[in-house]
Amino acid sequence: MSTMKTTRDVKGVGVSIPRPDGPEKVTGRVQYVADIPAKGLLHAKLLRSPHAHAKIVSIDVSAAKALPGVRAVLTAKDIPHLKKKAPTRAHAVLAIDRVVFMGQPVAAVAADEPSIAEEALDLIKVEYQVLPASIDPLKAMQPGAPPVADAGTEADTSEALAHSAVAIAKSEAPAKAVNISQQARLQRGDPAAGFAQSDHVLEKTYRVPMVHQGYLEAHAVLAEWDRNGLLTLWASTQGSFNTRSEVADVLGIPENRIRVIPVECGGGFGGKIRALCEPITAVLAQVTKRPVRYVMTRREELEAGMPAPQVIIKLKTGVKRDGTLMALDAETVIDSGAYSGAVLAVSAVFLGSMYKWPSFDVRGFEVLTHKPSVAAYRAPVAPQTIFAIESHMEQIARDLNLDSVEFRMRHLIAPGDPMVNGQPWQSNGARQVLARLAEHPHWKTRKQWIAEGKNGKKRGVGLALGGWLGGLQPTGATVRLNPDGTLAVLTGQVDIAGTNISLAQIAASAYGVDTDLVRITTGDTDVAPLTGLSAGSKTIYTVGAAVLQAAEDARRQTFEIAAAELEASVHDLELADGKITVRGMPDKGITLATIGKKGNLYMSKTPPVLGKANPAFTQQAPGFAAQLARLEVDPDTGEVTIRDFVIVQDVGKAINPLGVEGQMQGGAVQSLGIALTEGLMFDDNGRLTNPSLLDYRKLTAADLPNLETIIVEVPAPAGPFGARGVGEPPIIPAPAAIANAVHDAVGARITQLPLNPERIALAVADGNGHR
Amino acid sequence: MAKQVLQCTVNGEPVEALVQPYTTLLDALREDMGLTGPKEGCGTGDCGACSIHVDGKLVASCLMLAMQARGKSVRTIEGLAAADTTLHPLQDAFVRHGVPQCGFCIPGVLMAAAALLEENPRPSEEEIRYGIAGNLCRCTGYTKMVTAISEAAGALASQRSAR
Amino acid sequence: MRRFDLVLPQSLDDCLKILAQRGDQAKLVAGGTDLLPQMKNGVTRPKVVVDLSGIERVRQIHTGNGQGLRIGAAVTAREIELSPGIRGPYQAIAESGALVGSIQVRNLATVGGNICNAAPSADMAPPLVALEAQAVIAGPKGERRVPLADFFTGVRKTVLASDEVLVEFVVPAPGAHSGGQYLRHTPRRELDIAVVGVASQLTMANGTCARARIVLASVAPTPVRATAAERALEGQAITPALIERAATLAVEAANPINDQRGSVEFRKHLVRVLTRRTLITALERANA
Repeated sequence: MSTMKTTRDVKGVGVSIPRPDGPEKVTGRVQYVADIPAKGLLHAKLLRSPHAHAKIVSIDVSAAKALPGVRAVLTAKDIPHLKKKAPTRAHAVLAIDRVVFMGQPVAAVAADEPSIAEEALDLIKVEYQVLPASIDPLKAMQPGAPPVADAGTEADTSEALAHSAVAIAKSEAPAKAVNISQQARLQRGDPAAGFAQSDHVLEKTYRVPMVHQGYLEAHAVLAEWDRNGLLTLWASTQGSFNTRSEVADVLGIPENRIRVIPVECGGGFGGKIRALCEPITAVLAQVTKRPVRYVMTRREELEAGMPAPQVIIKLKTGVKRDGTLMALDAETVIDSGAYSGAVLAVSAVFLGSMYKWPSFDVRGFEVLTHKPSVAAYRAPVAPQTIFAIESHMEQIARDLNLDSVEFRMRHLIAPGDPMVNGQPWQSNGARQVLARLAEHPHWKTRKQWIAEGKNGKKRGVGLALGGWLGGLQPTGATVRLNPDGTLAVLTGQVDIAGTNISLAQIAASAYGVDTDLVRITTGDTDVAPLTGLSAGSKTIYTVGAAVLQAAEDARRQTFEIAAAELEASVHDLELADGKITVRGMPDKGITLATIGKKGNLYMSKTPPVLGKANPAFTQQAPGFAAQLARLEVDPDTGEVTIRDFVIVQDVGKAINPLGVEGQMQGGAVQSLGIALTEGLMFDDNGRLTNPSLLDYRKLTAADLPNLETIIVEVPAPAGPFGARGVGEPPIIPAPAAIANAVHDAVGARITQLPLNPERIALAVADGNGHR
Repeated sequence: MAKQVLQCTVNGEPVEALVQPYTTLLDALREDMGLTGPKEGCGTGDCGACSIHVDGKLVASCLMLAMQARGKSVRTIEGLAAADTTLHPLQDAFVRHGVPQCGFCIPGVLMAAAALLEENPRPSEEEIRYGIAGNLCRCTGYTKMVTAISEAAGALASQRSAR
Repeated sequence: MRRFDLVLPQSLDDCLKILAQRGDQAKLVAGGTDLLPQMKNGVTRPKVVVDLSGIERVRQIHTGNGQGLRIGAAVTAREIELSPGIRGPYQAIAESGALVGSIQVRNLATVGGNICNAAPSADMAPPLVALEAQAVIAGPKGERRVPLADFFTGVRKTVLASDEVLVEFVVPAPGAHSGGQYLRHTPRRELDIAVVGVASQLTMANGTCARARIVLASVAPTPVRATAAERALEGQAITPALIERAATLAVEAANPINDQRGSVEFRKHLVRVLTRRTLITALERANA
C-alpha cells in the first residue's frame, strides 16, 4: 500500500515527489470534459466542407431540422452578429460564403444523441462551387496563385508573441505575392564575398510536413448559459483566460459574462492554446437553452485540427577547408494553412543564431494555403529548423573530415554573443549539454559499437543540439496561511506538465515548510489571478517566480506578525517544523497555526496572511538539449531500430527531477515521431489522405528503447531557484540526431521527414546517398 | 429503435442496463453505467485508451457493440484495485514512478499491463513493451511505464509467494 | 455511428433465416474491428446488423492429428496466434494472426472478418491461400466449399452472397517436410497495416521442392499467387540463386498502386525482399 512517502531529506525544491493527482489518475477517477455529466445534455456535431476551396452557393437544412431528436441546426445565416472583418480561425465560427480548407465547419447541429446528430448532418444539403486551390506553399507563394485570405486581413502574430518573445525587424516588402502573410529578412556582412572565399559550399533543401500534436484527448467543451446570461465553459484548454478572451471577442460579449473552468486536459502541446470549438458550442447552448457538449472525433482532429506548420528550409553554407564559417544563405518557408499565425520569427532567428556566421542573408516567409490553419506544437518551428541546421552542420563536418562535436563547439554561440536580430544570447547551457553528451560512452565508443553490427543490420550513431528561447508572459499568484498552519496557493495555471507539484515545492521552500503542507489550487477565470498559457516552457519560469515571490511575501507577513507577538526583531527569528522561534531561545516561539488562527478570529487585530505577486518578465532563459541516437537500419526494408537514446538537457534547476525526466522523455518521443513516422499527408486537392491513427503513425512502446535522461543545471539568473523552462527543448534535436545516425549507418543524407522505411530503403537501393 | 436489455457482470457486480442497439460497449460503460475510466481516444481501435477486460481478455471497447457483452464478465479500471481504499500494485508503482502526466491513456495502459501480468507474471522488458504496444501515450515516452510495470510484476510475484 | 437495428441469432439456422429476409440491408458483425470503423466513417451504413458472437459453430478450432485444420470463422486472431495446434504445422497462419493490429484488436478480430472484409492488405489471407485453405459457406440451400484462392473477387469484394455466412476454413495437412512463413512490412511494430505481405510455403521431398506456394498481399486488388515464381521452384533443389530468381518473378506478379502507405517502387522492392526472406525461412522450417 502506497504511503506516498518520498526519498528525501530536503523539504521542497530539488526532490523527486510524485504528483499528488497520481492516485486519481490511476484509478480512472479524474474527470475530463467528456466525463462530466449534465442534465438535459445535448450533443453537437459539425458539418464540414468536403472541398479545400469553394464558394457556398446554398445550404438547405430543412430535412435536418425535421429529424426527431434534433434541437438546433445553425448556419452562418443564423449568427449574422458574429461576422468579423479580420477573422482569425476562431472568428470563422461557421463559413459565411466561402470555405478555405477541407474540413472547415459549415453547419452545426445539436441533438439528443450523437447518432441522431450524425444522421442530421447527412440530411443537410450544401451546394458548392469548387474553386482552384493553393495547396503546395512554394506554388502558393507565386503571384497569380489562388488567394487564400480575404483581402485586407492582417497577419496574426499573437502566437509569436506568446511563445517566443523574439523581436524581429520587419523586412522591406518586395512585390507581395497574394498568399505571403508574413515575411522577414535578416542580414549581416557580405555573404557573396564569403561564398567566394569558401572552399566548401553545401546547398540543401529540408522539408518537414505538417504534424499533429497528437494529444490523446481530442478537443472537448461543455457549454451552458444560466438564466442571467452568464456562460460557463468547461474546456480542455491550455489557457482558461486566453479561451475566455477569445470567446468573448468572437461572441461579442464582455469577458466577465464568461466563466472558463479548465478541466483536466488530456494533452495539449500547443494544440489547445487557441479557441476552436468553444464559440460554436456556446452558440448552440444559447439557442437550445440546454447544456451542449462537443467532442471532436479523431478524424476531425487530424483533418481539421490546428497542426504544426509545414516547413521548407533552403540552406546554403560556405565554409573554409579548415572549418572556418564564411557565409550563410537561408530561406525558410512556413506553410501556415488557411490563416496566419506561425512563429516565423523563431525559425528565421534560429537559422542564423545557433552558430557564429560572420555573414548571412536569412529570409523567412509565412505562406497561406487551403489547408487547416496551424496553432503551436511544443517549440513551434524549432524541431523543423534545427533538423535543417544540425543535419547541415553534420554534413559539413563529414565532408571536411572534422569531428562532429569539435566543429560545433568551435562555432557554437556563447552567452552574450549576438543573435541574428542583434539581441544578445542570455545565459544558457548550450555548450555544457553538448560537452556532457560528448562524454557519454555511447558517443565515445561509437566506432566499436558500429563495427559489432550483425545480421546484416547497419549501425549508426548520431547527435544533435537544439534549444528554445523560453517564453514570457505576465502572471499572478497568491499564497495564504490557513488557520492550521498549512498553505494554500492559488494560480490560474492549467496544470498540464505536472507543474503544480513543482509550484508547491517552490512555495514550500520559499516559505519554509514541508511540501506536504502546501496545496495548489488551479482556479477558474472567476477566481484566479490572470495568468497565461501553459505553454512556451514558461510555467515554472514565470508562474514559479510569481509563486516564489508570493510565498516570500507571505513569509514576510508571517514573520512580522510573529515579531510583534514575540516582541523581537524579524531578523532574530527562524522558522522550522511549523514554528517560529527566537534564535537561541527555543521556548520563545509561536506556531504557524496560531498565527493563522489569529488572522481569522472575531475581533482579532491580526490580519490574515495573504501573500501576493503579479510580475511581468523581460529576461528570457533559453533551454538547450542535446540528444544522441544509436540505431540499426535494415538496409533492405529501411526499418530503423533505435537501440539507445540519450537526452541531455539544461533545466537550470530541477525543481522536481521526477517531473523533469518525464518531460524530457515525453518530448523526445514526440521528436522521434516527427523524425521517423509522422506527417499529415495532403493530396493535390488538399484532402488529407491519412485521417486516422492507423495511418497517422505515432510511436508505440514497442518501437522505442528506454530513454536515458541526464539533467544539467546552469542556473537561470532570474529563474525561481535558477530554474528554466523544461517542456520544449526535448522535442527539438531528435529529427537531426536520427538523420545523422541514419547517414552514419547507410551513407544516405535524407533531407525530408519523416525518415520512414520507404525513404531509407530507396535511398540505399539508389546507392547515391542523396535523397 | 427499441432499446435492448444488456445483462452482464461489471467489476464483479451483476448489471442490467437498457442500451440502444447501436451503442458501443465503451459508450454504454461511460454514459449508461457512469464508468468514465475507459476513454475514447480514436473510436477505431488504434489507440488503446478504451481498453478493458472482457472474460479476462484485453479488448478495445470502442469496437464492441454493448450487446456483444451479454452474459460476459467486464472489468474496467474502476475494478482493478481490490477495494476503494487500496491500489493495485500496478497503480501504486505508476504513482510512485511519476508515470501519469495528462493521465488520459493511463486507464487503458493499466488494463493492458494487468492483462499482461496475468498471462506472463515475469515479463522481460521487450515483452512489457509489446504488452502495452496497443496503447498510445503522447506525454511520457513510455520509459517510466516499463519500469513501473516491471517493478509491479516483482511485487505481485512476492505477494503470491507470501501466501 | 448512425442508428441501426441489431439482431442476435443464437444459431446458424437463425442467422440464415434473418439473412434470407433482410440480408441485402444487413451486415454481419463478429469482432467488429473492420465493420465498426467503417460504420463510424460512414463508408458503410447498414440498417441492420447481425451479431455472430452468440453462434457456437463458428467459434471452434479443430486441429486433428495430421487430419487437417478447421478454423471457425469467428475464431479470433489472438486465439490463432496462441494456438499450439496452429503454431506447429501451420506456422504461417499463426504468424499472420499475431500481426493484426494490437492485442486489444486481436482479442476481437476474427479470421472470418479479416477474410470477408477482403482488404488487399488482409494479413490472414496469404498464408491461408498458401496452405490451400477452403472456405465453407452456409446458405439457404446448404453448405458449399470454395477454394480460398477463388474467394476474393476485388477490393472488399468476395463470392459471398448477402444471404450466406462464412462458417469455417478447412486447411489440409501440409504433410511432412513442409514449412512456411508470413512476413509483412510495416513502419511501426504494432497497430499497423501491411505495406506488403508475403506468405511462402514449401513442401520438400528428397531434396527437391515438391510444392511451392507464394502469395502476396497489398500489391493487387486481391491476394495474388506468384505462380511463375512457384513453378520456377517446383521440382528443383532450392539454391540461393533460385530463391533470387523466384523473388524476381514474384515482383513481376505484383501490380501495386501508389498510395499514402507506399509507392509502386517501394512495394515492388519489398516483394523481392520479403519473398526472399520467407523462402529462406520456409526452407529452413521444411528441413527442420
